[in-house]
Amino acid sequence: MSTVSAQTDEIARAAAAVKTMECDFVQTKQLKLLNDKLVSKGRMYYRQSDKLRWEYRSPYTYTFILNGQKVLLKNARKTDVIDTSQNKIFREIARMMMSSVVGDCLGNDKDFKTAIATTPTEWVATLEPKRKDMRQMFRQIILHFNRTKKMVSSVELIEPKGDKTVIELQNVKTNAPVADTLFALD
Amino acid sequence: MRRLLILSLLWISLTAWGQRYSAFIETSRASISGICVLVSDSTSTIRGSLFNEFGITALDFTYVPAREKVRLHSVMPALDHWYIRRVLRRDLRQIVPLLTGADKSVTHTNERYHITYTFTPLPDDSEE
Repeated sequence: MSTVSAQTDEIARAAAAVKTMECDFVQTKQLKLLNDKLVSKGRMYYRQSDKLRWEYRSPYTYTFILNGQKVLLKNARKTDVIDTSQNKIFREIARMMMSSVVGDCLGNDKDFKTAIATTPTEWVATLEPKRKDMRQMFRQIILHFNRTKKMVSSVELIEPKGDKTVIELQNVKTNAPVADTLFALD
Repeated sequence: MRRLLILSLLWISLTAWGQRYSAFIETSRASISGICVLVSDSTSTIRGSLFNEFGITALDFTYVPAREKVRLHSVMPALDHWYIRRVLRRDLRQIVPLLTGADKSVTHTNERYHITYTFTPLPDDSEE
């Protein structure tokens, strides 16, 4: 495994060129204590630089919309709008989700210790949080980049107790028009 | 020997089960939602996990029906205080028996602390 190097610059350049993105995602939560897993599916929409819609459609419905400093959380029973400037936890979650999707957390030396491994088809970036509040949530965050497209193809979130969540991005479409209404907070 | 092994595996497959619920927990000041998974094995101990929609674990626990005992194995830092653990243990001791085999929503209210827990079974397509 090499240290962060030229790959980071390549990924950052590719991320900067992504003005919009939309894709399906498959999220697999692996439960260590239960020796079980839960698969959920949904759709994601992104618009540079601060708009993200993360929508679970199966087996539950749940929508997370980040629009500037505001986050909307909608479950089957309730909708909440939160100002991330006043809520540290959601500020971190929003920042983490956004930067993972486009891969621009690689240059963040302040928050993560990063190493990159190369395979014939992928760059695999392993991020270890430096800050205590992030370390309490994640032991490691592993981003898999498609070397041809220079884009994130999957994200592994590894928790301190060994539970793991893998998010695979599928049917990715970039720089196509994405409607404003998808990021509406009302 | 082989027959014994087959019978053992058959016994485990008949007695083991897993259930998934969407969870909604409401207090007088806030509410949180997430997913709850329960798994039981042939020893009848029930292992459970509660995590948010993004997959971040809030707590892991086991429940032993014969002793009506809940043990918390891990609790997220925000909830990891002795007084919260005590409430969670007591409430889960009431809730888990209601959930086993439930095919409809289950609601439990902690009257003293004004906490309402609602669990709704998820469709089977969460397991692949």
